[in-house]
Amino acid sequence: MAPGVDLDFRPEVPAFDANAALGRRHDRRVAVDDAAGLLAEMDRAGVERALVYAPHAAAFDSAEGNAGLLEAIGSELRLAPQFEGNPTFDDLDETAAQIEAADVRAVRMVPTLHHYPFRSWVVGEWLEWLSARGIPLWLPASYETNWHDGADLDPHAVHETVRQFPDLTVVLCEVHYVQASWAPPLLRSLSNLSIEVSRYVIADGIAQLLEIVGPERVLFGSRFPEQAIAPQLYHLHRLGLNETDLRAVCGGNLARLLRM
Amino acid sequence: MDTPVIDFHSHAGSWGRYGVDADCDLYLKVMDAAGVDRTCINCIWFGDARRGNDLVMEYVKRAPDRFIGVAFATPHYPEEAVKELERAVHQLGMAYVKIYPDYFGRPNDDPAYFPIYEWVDEQEMAVMCHATYPFDPPGTTIQGRFTALSDRFPNVRWVMAHTAGTLDADAAETARVLPNVYMETCSSRTALGATEFNVERAGEDKVLYGSDMALMDARQQIAKVVTADIPRRAKEKILGLNAMRLLRLDGRP
Repeated sequence: MAPGVDLDFRPEVPAFDANAALGRRHDRRVAVDDAAGLLAEMDRAGVERALVYAPHAAAFDSAEGNAGLLEAIGSELRLAPQFEGNPTFDDLDETAAQIEAADVRAVRMVPTLHHYPFRSWVVGEWLEWLSARGIPLWLPASYETNWHDGADLDPHAVHETVRQFPDLTVVLCEVHYVQASWAPPLLRSLSNLSIEVSRYVIADGIAQLLEIVGPERVLFGSRFPEQAIAPQLYHLHRLGLNETDLRAVCGGNLARLLRM
Repeated sequence: MDTPVIDFHSHAGSWGRYGVDADCDLYLKVMDAAGVDRTCINCIWFGDARRGNDLVMEYVKRAPDRFIGVAFATPHYPEEAVKELERAVHQLGMAYVKIYPDYFGRPNDDPAYFPIYEWVDEQEMAVMCHATYPFDPPGTTIQGRFTALSDRFPNVRWVMAHTAGTLDADAAETARVLPNVYMETCSSRTALGATEFNVERAGEDKVLYGSDMALMDARQQIAKVVTADIPRRAKEKILGLNAMRLLRLDGRP
C-alpha cells in the first residue's frame, strides 16, 4: 500500500508554467509546436498559463523568432510571450520598442549559445534597461542545439554581473543536476536571483532550494515540449509545502514577476 | 492505489560532484513522500565492488522491509567478480545484478562480461545496465545487441536502464520482441510522451518504474508514470507489479 501515489492527480493551486517553448526547431521535429497543442497539454496537466519563448529566436534571430512567437500566440491570453535578446547582435532600442509594443513582460538571453561572456561590458546596457522597466531576465544554465553542446553558463560571470543590478530580477532556468554544485551557492549569494526548476531533479533538491532561498524565489517550469508538463508539478505537490508556498512556487511567483 | 510500488533503480552512496549524500534518512523520507514501498538499491561507485555491496547492505539492514539489495560486479577485477556475486546473492540476499560498462570502457556485450552473465544465467536472475554507450561500434543496434545476449544467456532477464524514459524505437522494439528484455523509466530529461510511447510499443508488462535515486528525486520520476496518459492498470504494473513478477516477489516460480 502506498498512500503517497495519486493516480488521479490534478494541481491543487493555479499553475503558471515559467519555461515553455512554442514553435518549430531547426534541429528536430518536436512533438508539439503550435499553440493548440500546447494548450491541450496544459489542459491535460491542469496548467492555466504559460510563459513561452521561440526556439528560433534563441537559435538564430531574436527579431524573427519573437515576431513568430507573437503570431503563434495570436489572441490567446493563457500564453504570455517571452522575448529573446542577444546584446551582441540586436539593437536595444529596436528590441525595447518591440517589447513595449507587444507588452512583453519577460526577456531571455542565452550567452552560452551566442558565445558572449555575461559581463556588464557586454550586457550592461540591456540589464540597465530591463532593470529600469521592471522586466525580469531568464538565463538558461545551458542550452543545447545540434551545433552547440550545451556548455554551462559561467556562474562567476553571473555572480559578478547580476550583483551590479540589484533591482533586476534574474531567473536561472533549465538548471540540471550537473549544475547543482554551483546553483545553490549562487542563489544564496544573490538576493535578486530566482530559479526555475524544470530540470532540477536531484533527490530532495527542490526542498533544499526552498530552505536556501525561500518559496518566493523558486518557480515551477516544465521545459515543454522537450519534457512533459505534469511531472514536475506533481513533484512540487509532494514536497509537503503549505498552500501559500505551493501557490507561490506553482505560479504565484511568476505572476508577480510578470506583474500579471 | 492498493498495489505495491517498487522502485527498480536506485543508488546508495555519496557523489559530492552532484550533491548526492549517503543519507538513508533522506532516502526514506523521499520514498515515503513519493509513495514508494520498496526500492532496489545498488552501489556502483567503488572500484571495490565488495565495499559498495556492503554499503548497500547498511541501507537494507536499516530498513529491510523498504530496501532490496542489488549486487554490483565489475570486470576490472575478473578474479573477484563471480566470487563477489556469490557472496552478494547467496550470503547477503541481493535480488539481481547491476553492471556499469561506462566505467569499463567497453559495452555490455563485450566478452569480458560473459563470466558474470554465465553465473547470472545459472541463477536465472536479472541484470540491469544501459542499452547503449558512447563507445559503441558504428552500426550497433539495441535489438541486435540484446538478441545476441539473449540467445547466449537465455535465462538472464535483461533490464535496459533509462530506456523507458526516452523515445527510442529500437529499445522499445527490443523489449517487445524479446521475452526476457525489459525497459526502465528513469531519466533526467522526462521526454514528453515517453511512458505512453514505450507502453504502446513494448507493452505494459515490459516497463519498470525506476528513479535513479539519489541522483534524481523519486517524486519527480514517479510522476512520469503517474501522470502519463495510459490505463490505470498499466500504471499499477509499471509502478510495481512488473517488478514483483520479475524479482519473483509475487510467489510465482
